[in-house]
Amino acid sequence: MRPRATPYVLVGPATVLLLTFGVLPILVAAGVSLTDMDAAGLGDPSRVGGVGAANYAELLADPAFWQAMRNTAFYVALGVPSVVVVSLAIALLLNQSRSRFFRVLRSFYFLPAITGIVAIALVWGYLYNTQFGLINYLLSLVGVGPVQWLSSPGLVKVSVALVAIWRGTGLNSVIFLAALQGVPKEYLEAAALDGASGWRTTWSIVLPLVRFAIMFVTVTTVIAWLQFFDEAFVLTKGGPLGTSTSISLFLFQQGFSGARFGYASAGSVVLFVVIAAVTLVQLRARRADVAY
Amino acid sequence: MANTSLRRALLPAGIVASLALAACSSGGAAAPGTSDAAEQPSTSTSASSEPAAPAGPLTVWVMGDSSAKFDELVAPFVSDTGIEVNTVAIPWDSIDQKVTTAVASGEGPDVLQIGLSKLRTFADTGALLPLDEAALADYPNLAAANFLDGVAGDATAVGGQVVSVPWIADTRVLFYRSDILSEAGIAQPPATWEELRADAKVLAARGDGQYGSYIPQWDSPLPVQMTWAFGGDIVDADGNVDFDTPAFRQAVDLYTGLYADGSVPTNSDFDQTQGFVSGIAPMLVSGPYLAAAIKDAAPDLDGKWSVTTLPKETNGTALLAGSNLGVWAKSTHQDAALQLLDYLSQPATQVTWFGLNGDLPTVKAALEDPKVTADPLVAVYAAQLADSKILPLVPNWDGETGKALLDALNSVVLTGADKDAAIATLISATAGQSVN
Repeated sequence: MRPRATPYVLVGPATVLLLTFGVLPILVAAGVSLTDMDAAGLGDPSRVGGVGAANYAELLADPAFWQAMRNTAFYVALGVPSVVVVSLAIALLLNQSRSRFFRVLRSFYFLPAITGIVAIALVWGYLYNTQFGLINYLLSLVGVGPVQWLSSPGLVKVSVALVAIWRGTGLNSVIFLAALQGVPKEYLEAAALDGASGWRTTWSIVLPLVRFAIMFVTVTTVIAWLQFFDEAFVLTKGGPLGTSTSISLFLFQQGFSGARFGYASAGSVVLFVVIAAVTLVQLRARRADVAY
Repeated sequence: MANTSLRRALLPAGIVASLALAACSSGGAAAPGTSDAAEQPSTSTSASSEPAAPAGPLTVWVMGDSSAKFDELVAPFVSDTGIEVNTVAIPWDSIDQKVTTAVASGEGPDVLQIGLSKLRTFADTGALLPLDEAALADYPNLAAANFLDGVAGDATAVGGQVVSVPWIADTRVLFYRSDILSEAGIAQPPATWEELRADAKVLAARGDGQYGSYIPQWDSPLPVQMTWAFGGDIVDADGNVDFDTPAFRQAVDLYTGLYADGSVPTNSDFDQTQGFVSGIAPMLVSGPYLAAAIKDAAPDLDGKWSVTTLPKETNGTALLAGSNLGVWAKSTHQDAALQLLDYLSQPATQVTWFGLNGDLPTVKAALEDPKVTADPLVAVYAAQLADSKILPLVPNWDGETGKALLDALNSVVLTGADKDAAIATLISATAGQSVN
């Protein structure tokens, strides 16, 4: 093997995987989005016709699409800061000690991340239940009437997002914890010698040093919440009246329940563009960052 | 979430694209059932020249979680004809994906059970074999006259073409708690919707957290049945969906009135079995499956509840649901498949299936069988089935017409939207929908 070819051979397998499962599906979706493909078209390709940009025009005029977009914006606005702040707080607390008790706690906080979503949906569905739910039972003890956690169009997004926040903190806490444990002891000792308080040390030394972890978690969390799907799908199926439908759930309903593959593809291309744009902006912001 | 986020980063485009890829590959796919053909007994090679001996094996998709009971049902057929039957149970949640994949790949079952709400969608894919009178001529049990009128022959034709034969029936009746009604001074279950509304108000006044009835927010047939009750329909004479009728407005007034009276709970997670058993909602419009659930949850409640036919106004027509059976158009065992359908449509088979699985027969003779009518509840179901009608076979009832109907009604009762505006939105959202 000539040494010149070596780098290409090394990146080859990864590139092929990326092209096959990353780039090709996007191109196919972009192609399908210009057609009226439905269930009948799947069986008989001659029944698929090109419709130009009609799917995109219909999408922009579809109130359900805009409702899903607004809902997704709400999920991102509520979910991303909550997940980042809560998991960072948990990681800081878990980092106080490495005793056996704290190691057990660490596993405890990780549990939601590895529990099946269907089991989570069942348990939270019962917790939230208007009539027999534990949460409403506890509220009734202090004289608060039944709250319709998953039935009230105004409240349902918050209830669904809470479950996702609870589920999303575990893994991110572990990422933050790893970053926190990578902070050199010398800096902390130096700060302690200078008489800095614990709060001051955290704010001025620890947090700047785990900036990259915060950046990473923020970017991945934003992407995950832009694709918000699981919790809304299993808890409410997007209801009531579409008030908890995220954009991914909307695409799923159009594509699989409605068999409108062309229309759903158009929506998925829009979602892809939104995610790519948001991520680019975030990475650009990171570029201006100072290296320590 | 972070671990999932990376692999999900490309998901939205991927979901749809993977299906599209499957579609592209179908063009060059091998003929369906080739693997089956290899397993055929040697007699089948001669079947092409003399079509007398149909051969299997047949792959049958039945709905549900288990195929054991269906295997038991077809065991005599297998031993009599020598046609092997491989039953595959398909959960209701995954039937759409299964059929989509099968259509795309061209490799489907030979026979499949089709919920009536899916019939139009499946038929539109062209995956079902047309079953006109000529195709069924050799199979006397499949003659349309044998089945309930509401699902027989042309009643479930799609675009003028019959692509399925009836299999099992389902309907809606009024469940009521006789003990609670008589305690509240109501001697008889309501015979009209106006009576039901008045009785529900009385029952809801029993106390805080008590209701008269329950309206499932996902139950799109209910407002349709109310429209039928007022003598109207939701499709016009030409088969176009039409919500701009006086009967539908009366149905909307009834539906929203039950909410306005405080007679029904507003939470979407209300459990109707629990609500009925605990007495919170002592009158319910539901199907035979609720009877099974009640007997299961509260056997000691026996004698304190019963069922009756739906309340009437000018009509008392109920929903006719259930499943039909279809033959996969690309099946290589069509004669054997029709022979199986013929067996399944024999009155005796239908009665056996009722005993095995509790599903109501669609064959009239089976519905009159003493083994079926012995149960007083079933006698009511059978009476209601005689006055029942399927939902219009529009292209996508669950996802479009039915959803728009529920959205309109629920926006009024849950968010206080203006009734006339909601109806106007519904009319414009469903304009152009048609059974043709």
